[in-house]
Amino acid sequence: MVNANKIEPHWWGKTLAGIFAGFFLSIGLVGIFAWLGPDGLTQQITEEQRLWKTQFNMWMITPIWLIILSFVYLFKSSRQAWAWLGGAACVSIAIVAALKEML
Amino acid sequence: MKIRADVLRTYQSVHTWTGISAGLLLFIGFFAGALTMFGSEIDDWATPPHYQMNQIQPAQQDTLLELVFTQYPETLNNVTINYEPDSSPIYWYGQGSARGFSLDDTMWHGTLDEQGELVTALRHVNELSMLVDYLHRSAGIIGEVGHDQAGVYILGIAAFLYFIALISGLIFLLPSLVKSFFALRKEKGANRFWLDSHNLVGVASFPFHIIIAITVVVFSFHDLFYGGLSQVYGDKPLFGGEEQHPEIRYELSELPSLNEIHTKVAQYAPGFSVSSINFRGLTGAHPSASISIVNDKSLMRGPHTDFIFMNPYTLEIDTSSVTNGNGQQGVWGAVVTTFFGLHFGSYGGELGRWLYFIMGLGGAFLFYSGNLIWLEKRRKKQSTEQSKSSHFMANLTVGVCLGCAMGIAGAFAASKWIMLIDVNINIAYMWVYYALFFASILTAFGYGAARFSIIGLYGFAALCLMVPITSLLGLIPQMPLWTPSSTADYGVEIAAIGFAVASILAAKKVQQRVYEGAQNSIWYCPKYTSERTCKRLA
Repeated sequence: MVNANKIEPHWWGKTLAGIFAGFFLSIGLVGIFAWLGPDGLTQQITEEQRLWKTQFNMWMITPIWLIILSFVYLFKSSRQAWAWLGGAACVSIAIVAALKEML
Repeated sequence: MKIRADVLRTYQSVHTWTGISAGLLLFIGFFAGALTMFGSEIDDWATPPHYQMNQIQPAQQDTLLELVFTQYPETLNNVTINYEPDSSPIYWYGQGSARGFSLDDTMWHGTLDEQGELVTALRHVNELSMLVDYLHRSAGIIGEVGHDQAGVYILGIAAFLYFIALISGLIFLLPSLVKSFFALRKEKGANRFWLDSHNLVGVASFPFHIIIAITVVVFSFHDLFYGGLSQVYGDKPLFGGEEQHPEIRYELSELPSLNEIHTKVAQYAPGFSVSSINFRGLTGAHPSASISIVNDKSLMRGPHTDFIFMNPYTLEIDTSSVTNGNGQQGVWGAVVTTFFGLHFGSYGGELGRWLYFIMGLGGAFLFYSGNLIWLEKRRKKQSTEQSKSSHFMANLTVGVCLGCAMGIAGAFAASKWIMLIDVNINIAYMWVYYALFFASILTAFGYGAARFSIIGLYGFAALCLMVPITSLLGLIPQMPLWTPSSTADYGVEIAAIGFAVASILAAKKVQQRVYEGAQNSIWYCPKYTSERTCKRLA
C-alpha cells in the first residue's frame, strides 16, 4: 500500500510535461483571462490601456509556467503528469479557441 | 511543518541538479549584476574629467539644439539633450546606437563655448559599465542568436532552473526552517557552516530571488510569449488598435521650446525632474520625444529613470511608465512597471541601490556556497583520494567564480591605463576580461582548486588594489592619469579597497583550510615548501 502512493522519480517525463504541457496550459489560462477578464479583448479600451494590458498578459505567462514546472515533480508518475497537465492544456486551449470563435 | 519523506527526497534531488547546473552561470550574472547598480558611477569614474563637455545653463539648451540642427542635420533623426551635471549637454551617435551591442560605437558630444559658439567632438563611447552589463545579461557567453546574444537565452534557461531550485530548496528546508533559520553552526564543521549560511541567505532574500527569476525569464523569452499571445488574441491586435492616427508632417519651426516640454512633464508627473530628452525622427512621419525623468521617491520602470513618450510637436503624451501620473496605465501598467522596477532596483534612491548591490552579491554567494555544499556532500571522509567529478566541479567552481571576479577587476585596473593609448577601449576591456577569465580556469585545472583558490583570491585582491594605486599615481605631476574628483569616483575606489580586504581575509581562511585542514578532502594540499607536491600535480 505504501509503495502505491510513493512518488516515482521519472525526471525526464515529468520535466518535459512541465515544459511542454505546462507552457500550453499557461498560455491557455492567460488566454481565458485575456478574453474574459477585466479590460478584456471584447471591451472597448484605449490604445494606451491595451498597451499595458497586453504587457500584463504576457508577464503572467511566466509565473504560471514556472509554478507548474516547480510542482510537476509532485505527480506520482510521468504518465499522471502528462495526463493532468496535457489534459488541462487541451481544455484551456479549446476554451480559448471557442472564445475566439464566439466573441 | 511536516512534509512527506518521499516529497522531501524528490525535491532535494531537484534542488541539487537544478542548482549545480545553473549555479555558475548565475554567479556571473549576479556578481556583475550587483555592480550594474552603480553603472553610471562606474562610467563616471572610468571617464577622464575632460571627456564630457561642459554642462550649460538649462536656458541655453534651446540655442544649442538649434545650432546642432543647422550644423548637423542628421541629428534631426536622433539626438539627446541631457541635463545631468556630469554629462555633455547634447550628444548623438556617430556610429552605432543606444540599442544593441557593439564595441565600436562613437558619439558626438556638443556644448557651447563662452562666446555661445557650438563646440563638438567625436569620441569613442567608453562604457566600462557596458562590459559589466554585458556580463550581467549574457554571463559572457559569446555568440548571437537572432537579435540578441546567445548568452541572454542561456541565462533565460538558467533562470528556469533557478526558479525551480528556489522552490525546491524552500520545500525541503521547510520542516527544519523554524528551528535552524538563524543558526550559524560554526563548531559543527565547515560543511554545516556553509549549509547554514546558504539557507540563511536563501530564505532571507527569497522574494528578491523569485522576482529576479521571473523577470529574467520574461526578458529572455518575451518574443516567444508575445508569439503565443498573438495566437490567443486571434484577430485582435496585441498593440495599437482601432484609433486612427492622422498622419501630419510637421515643420521643424513648429517645434515647441524645451520649456514647454518641461511644463507638460511637470503637469503630468509632479515631483519628477527631467534627466534627458531624446528626439527621434523630427522630420519624419512619426516624430517622437522620449523623456527620461527621475524621482527617487517613486518605483521607476527603467534601470535609472522613468520615461514619458510624447509627440514633440503637439506635446500629446502617448504613454509613460509613471503610474502615479495622469495616464491610463491602471493596475496593469502598475504591475508591469513594478516587475521592471523590482528587477532593476530603481526605487528607494541611493539606499535602494546599495540594498540591491548587497542582495546581488548575496545571490552570488548563494550559488557559490551551493556548489561548495555539493562538494562537501560527496567528500569521501575516509580517503585522501577524492572522486574525479568532485575535483572537476571544484576546479570549475573556483576557476569560473574567481575568473569572473578577476576579469572584471582587471578591466577596472587597466581602464585608466588603456585610456592613455589610442585603442578602442571597449575592445580592450573584452580582451582583458576574457584573458583573465580563461587563464583563471586553466590555472584552476592546472594547479587544482585548493591551491588555485589561494592564488586566485590574492590575485583578485591585487587587481582591486591596482584601482586606488593607479589613482594615487595620478597625483604625481606630469602623470597623464586622472584622480577621482566626485563622490561617485571615491565610491568606486572605496568599493575596490573593500573587495580587496574581503578577498585577503577570505584568502587567509582558505590558506588555513588548504594547508592545515582535514587531509581527506579536495581542499587539502600540502605547502610547496615541503618536498611533497600537491596530489593533483603528481
